[in-house]
Amino acid sequence: MSEIILQMRDIDKHFSGVHALKSVQFELRAGEVHALMGENGAGKSTLIKVLCGIHQRDGGEIQYFGEPVSFANIAESQKAGISVIHQELNMMNHLTVAQNIYIGREPRKGGIIDDRKMVEDARALFERIGVKIDPTVTLGSLTVGKQQMVEIAKAVSHDCKLLVLDEPTAALTQPEVEELFKIMLEMKEKGIGMIYISHRMDEINRISDRVTVMRDGEYVGTVNTKDVTKDDIVKMMVGRVIMGEQKEASCVPADAPVILEVKNLNAGKEVRNVSFNLRRGEILGFAGLMGAGRTEVARALYGADPKQSGEIILNGKKVTIKKPSQAVECGICYLSEDRKRYGLMLDKSVTENTTIASVDDFITVGLINDSKMREASAETNALLRTKTPSMEQLLKNLSGGNQQKVIIARWLMKNSDIFIFDEPTRGIDVGAKSEIYTLMENLTKQGKSVIMISSELAEVLRMSDRIVVMCEGRKTGELDISEATQENIMKLATMREEN
Amino acid sequence: MSNKNPLKKTRSLLSGGKQNIVIIFAAIVLFAIFTLINPGFASSGNLLTMTKSFVPYAILALGVTFVIATGGIDLSIGTVCIGSAVLAGAVCGTGVSADEGTLWLTIPIILATGLVFGLLNGILVAKCKIAPFIATLGTMLVSRGLTSVISEAVRETSSAVKYPPTGWFQKIFTNLNGFPIGIIWVLALTIICMIVMYKTKVGRYILAIGSNEEAARLSGIDVDKYKIIAYAIGGTFAGMAALFYTASNPSLTIAGGNGMELDAIAGVYIGGTSTTGGAASVAGTILGSLILVVIRQGLNIALSSGSVVSATNITYAVTGVIVVGAVMLDVLKKKAAAKVKIDPAPAKEKEAEKVAK
Repeated sequence: MSEIILQMRDIDKHFSGVHALKSVQFELRAGEVHALMGENGAGKSTLIKVLCGIHQRDGGEIQYFGEPVSFANIAESQKAGISVIHQELNMMNHLTVAQNIYIGREPRKGGIIDDRKMVEDARALFERIGVKIDPTVTLGSLTVGKQQMVEIAKAVSHDCKLLVLDEPTAALTQPEVEELFKIMLEMKEKGIGMIYISHRMDEINRISDRVTVMRDGEYVGTVNTKDVTKDDIVKMMVGRVIMGEQKEASCVPADAPVILEVKNLNAGKEVRNVSFNLRRGEILGFAGLMGAGRTEVARALYGADPKQSGEIILNGKKVTIKKPSQAVECGICYLSEDRKRYGLMLDKSVTENTTIASVDDFITVGLINDSKMREASAETNALLRTKTPSMEQLLKNLSGGNQQKVIIARWLMKNSDIFIFDEPTRGIDVGAKSEIYTLMENLTKQGKSVIMISSELAEVLRMSDRIVVMCEGRKTGELDISEATQENIMKLATMREEN
Repeated sequence: MSNKNPLKKTRSLLSGGKQNIVIIFAAIVLFAIFTLINPGFASSGNLLTMTKSFVPYAILALGVTFVIATGGIDLSIGTVCIGSAVLAGAVCGTGVSADEGTLWLTIPIILATGLVFGLLNGILVAKCKIAPFIATLGTMLVSRGLTSVISEAVRETSSAVKYPPTGWFQKIFTNLNGFPIGIIWVLALTIICMIVMYKTKVGRYILAIGSNEEAARLSGIDVDKYKIIAYAIGGTFAGMAALFYTASNPSLTIAGGNGMELDAIAGVYIGGTSTTGGAASVAGTILGSLILVVIRQGLNIALSSGSVVSATNITYAVTGVIVVGAVMLDVLKKKAAAKVKIDPAPAKEKEAEKVAK
C-alpha cells in the first residue's frame, strides 16, 4: 500500500443554518484514483472547496502528507500541489491556448514574455498527453471539449501532487475520454493522487481504485471498486436501483404524423445539407462526436444562429424561423448544453427563471400577477421534484441538476410541442438523470416530440426511437432503434468525408 | 406563508430596501448639517429652488434606469434633453413674452425629439450591435450639434433660446401658485416607472436581458425589440425632463446640458441599480437623485458667502466620491452574498428541525 497523502477526518461545514457537510471522511493514497460520488447537492463540491481553501471548515481536520493543514485560499493549496479541474470551465476566452496554460508564470527573456518558448512548451505538453490543439489559437475558438483538454493540460503542467477532476468527462467525446484516461494512468505511475468526481458508472469502474459515496452532506462509505458492482454504488448513492437497458423497439405508433420536417439545412461551416423529420410522440436521438454539428443543427433550426439555406416544415406548413422568439411561437423549445451561459439567469429567482418564457400567460390588464406566477412555478417545479428551499431562491444557489430542472420547468410551462434537449443530463447525477428520462417519456406520451442530442451512447440507445448520426456537419445515417447498436452508431459517427 | 406575501411584495417593489433607508438617513443628516451651517437652507425659497433643480435630474435618472437595467448606458440624455428644448423653442419661435411663437407646440416637439433620439440609440445598440457607450456617445454629440445647428439656422443667431419665464408653462411644470408642482410629477412618474419595471412584461424582459441576454434570447424574448424600448424610454424621459428644465431655466443654451447625464446616471448608481444590469431600483434612483441635489444645493449655499473655493467644483468631487462609494458598497454586498451559498439538498434537514421545534 502506498503512502496516504490526504486524510480528511470528521469534516463539518455549515452555511447560514444549512448543514452542508456532516462529519465527512476521505482518504487518498499516492497513485490512487479515488472516485467521489453522490447525487447533486450531496456535498461533493463543498468537500472539494473545503479541501482547496475556497471554504473554511467548521470542524474536523485535514492532513496533507502527514501534516495538519488549513489552506486559507486556492492560491495556498495550489502552491502545495493541489490542482482542481472544475466542472465549469474558468478560463480566458480571449487569450491564446498557450497564454491560458502559462498565465501567471509566463517564461521570460530579459523581463519580456518569451512567447515563442511559451508556445513551444505548450506544444511539448500537448504532445506528451497526446492532444491535438494548436496553442496559438484563442481559447474561445475551441469547442467546450477541447477547452477542457486545455484545462487538464494546464493542471498537468502545474506538476501537481493531488489532482481533483470534477466531472472532467462530461463534455468529452469517447476518444477524448480515452486520451484523458491515458493521461490519468500516466499520472498514477508518477504517484499523483487523484480525486475523481463523475456520474458515469462505466468510468468509475474502469479508472478508480476506491469509491467514496456521499449523500445529503453525509459520508455513506468507502469501498474498493473491484469488490462492488455498479448497482451497489448506485444503491449507496440513492438507496434504490436504476438502470436502463436499450430500448428494444420504437414506441411511436405507426400512424403518428410527421410534425417537423427539416430539408437541406445549411448553416455556417458546421451544418451541411442536413435533412430529417420528426414524428409526433417520437424521441429522435442525435448521436455523433463532439464537433459533429449536432448542436449547430439545433441552434440553426431554433433561429439562434443564422441559416444559409434550408426549409422547415411544421405540421405541413413551411415556416420562417429567423430568431428564437419565432421558434418559440411555433412551439419549439431548446435547452442548451451550456446552461450557465445560454439558459440561466443566475441572479434571478426560481420563479423568474421558470416563468420567463410564459410571462404573457400571467398578465391581467397589462400587469403581471406575481402570486399566480409563484404558484404556477411551484406547481411545475414540484412536478419535476426540483430541490429548492423556496421559489424565491436565486438560481445560482441551486445545484446543476436542479438548475436543469428549472429550465425544463420553463418549457413545460410554455407547453411547447417540440423539445430540443441538448445534452440534457450533462453533469447530472444518476437520480436526476432517471427523472429526466422519465420526464421525456412522459412528454412523448402526451404527444410531444423530443429531439435529444447526446454524447452518451448509452443514453441515446436507451431513450431514442430513432437515431440520426452526424459527422463533420453532415448527416451520415439514420437508424431505427431496433437496428441500432453502439458499433453501427460509432461507425457512422466516424464516417469522414473522403477527399 | 400567505401572511408573509404582502411584505415580500412591498420589498420587491422597493427592491434594495436597505440601501434606500441608508440614503434617506444620509439625506436627512445632510439636510440638518446644511441647515445648521446656514439656516437659509431650510427656507421655503431654497426648497423651491431645490425642487426645481431636482425634478429634471430625477426624471432623466428614471428614464436611464431602464437603459442601465438592460446592462447598457445612455450618455446622450443630457444633450438630448437640452437639445430638444433648444430645437423646439427655435422652431416654434418662442420668446420672453408668452405671445411670441406657439408655446404649446414645443411640448409635443420636445417629447418627439427625445423619443427619436432614444429610438436611434436603441437601433444602434440592438440592431447595429454597437457598444452602448459608443453609440450613445455618438448620439450625444450628434444631438448637441444637430439641434443647435437647426436652431441657429432657423433663428439666424447663436444666442440663447428664450422661453417665457412665467405663465401657464410654469404653472404646469414648476410653480403652481407657490406649490412645487414638479414634485407631484416626479412622484407620478416614479409610480408609473415602478409599475412598468416590476409589474409589466416590458420591465420583466428588460431585467431578464440585463441578467443574461443570451438566455433571454433563447427563451424566446425578442431582445432587440425590448432593448430599443428601453432606450426609447430613456430618450422620452430626457424629453420630459426638458419640459421641467425649461420651465425653470427659460434662457437655454446647448452648453447648459453638458454633464447633466452624468449627474443623472450617478443618481441611478447611488440608488443601487446594478452596474451590469439585471437588477434595478426605481425608488433608489429617485433617492439617489435627491441626495445629489441636497449636496449640490447645500454646498452652494454653505459656500456662497465670500468663499474662495467654488461650490460647483467641490460638488463634483463629493459626487464622485459618493458614486464610487455607493457602487463599492454594492460590490462588497454581492461578495458577502456570494459567500453564503445554500446547498438545497439539506433543506430536508431544515424542515426536520422545524418539525422538531
